[in-house]
Amino acid sequence: MVEYYQPTSLQEALKIRSENKVTPYAGGTDLMIEADENLCYLFLNKVCEMRGIYEDAEYIRIGAACTYEKILQSELVPQILKDAVSQIAAPAIRNLGTMGGNIGNGSAKADSALVCFALDAKLQLSSVSGSRLVDIDKFYLGRKKLDMAENELITEILIPKADFGRYSYFKVGARNALAISRVSFAGVLSLKDGRISNIACAFGAVADTVLRFKDLEKMFLGKTLAEASAIKQDFVSAYSQSIVPIRGRVSMEYRKAVCMNLLNEFLSQSDI
Amino acid sequence: MNSIDFVLNGKEVKFTGNPAARLLDVLRDDFRLTGVKCGCKEGECGACSVIIDGLLVNSCMVAMGSINGSTITTIEGYCETARYAVLDKAFASVSAVQCGYCIPGMVLAAECVLAKTPHPTEDEIRVGISGNLCRCTGYNAIVNAISIAAKEGNGLW
Repeated sequence: MVEYYQPTSLQEALKIRSENKVTPYAGGTDLMIEADENLCYLFLNKVCEMRGIYEDAEYIRIGAACTYEKILQSELVPQILKDAVSQIAAPAIRNLGTMGGNIGNGSAKADSALVCFALDAKLQLSSVSGSRLVDIDKFYLGRKKLDMAENELITEILIPKADFGRYSYFKVGARNALAISRVSFAGVLSLKDGRISNIACAFGAVADTVLRFKDLEKMFLGKTLAEASAIKQDFVSAYSQSIVPIRGRVSMEYRKAVCMNLLNEFLSQSDI
Repeated sequence: MNSIDFVLNGKEVKFTGNPAARLLDVLRDDFRLTGVKCGCKEGECGACSVIIDGLLVNSCMVAMGSINGSTITTIEGYCETARYAVLDKAFASVSAVQCGYCIPGMVLAAECVLAKTPHPTEDEIRVGISGNLCRCTGYNAIVNAISIAAKEGNGLW
């Protein structure tokens, strides 16, 4: 029989990861599309430390092998993430699929990764020699290129505990269930004393990684909604210049047009 | 680890083949459970649905190694139950079956809807079967059948 690993503790999982050439398998729903029978899997679905959802003073901590269904049931998880997760695939996939797997697969179409970009989430990466935290946007280096060493595992997704204020999540696919995003958008906007204190606009399934332009977001920071509305056209045209989609299952032109529509919809919903 | 032990339709079984093999293929080819249908092998159609530890999953999306210690029910095991008898009668009563290819998966999806919500709304039924594609009936008859089963099988779920 070919070797396989199904550890029940994180310590055991990290040791196996460091000593063997293995492919980490959380929910399997991305990996099994290709189903390469020559791979040696490190099954993470029984590792207790990676299956729960906890909170500490700063973060909601979602175990990398926690299923979408558990995320939907959790009272700790912010609604924007639940909105995204509830539109992923269908129940039978949500019973298996995980955020850790979705992110580790490296696709810019990963719906849960998109929300992580909008919420400034961090990833905890662990190995036998220790753990480190990485900002989600620094984790994605390019198409299917991740800042992750051969001996590391994504162990947790950390969502800052903050009031994200207004949010919009849009997924454009070919059908309601079981759809791969053609374009997706996650936006948040919060106000403090009547002024915009945080804004994030993230675009998924458009380029090699999720797109977010922090420099452009700064145009609105510190402004009232009325002041932001006054420069809305400049804001939108700056995005129009910055978003350069790649061709995929759908054309560049289509993706670009949908991105701009979704951005405009988010701004309208935010009273800008 | 050198074997994969699990409970299949109530019996303890052992698998010593490739841990990276798809559960779908093993169920059909090794265990000859051909009620588990193969539609797409990419998690898009639900024809291969089975119940693992009480949850609906697509068996094409599962590598054998991940199910060590699990309990699996396929349509062959489920059709021995009183709940199945109710669903069977309800599906037949409104002609919810045409070609039948999606039906083993659809019936197990219905079981999971009713196990979670014994008296589901139409929306809850539609979400529950949203991963199971049927190209014949247009779904209305199937949704109707599941509603009827919820009424007729009152107390079973």
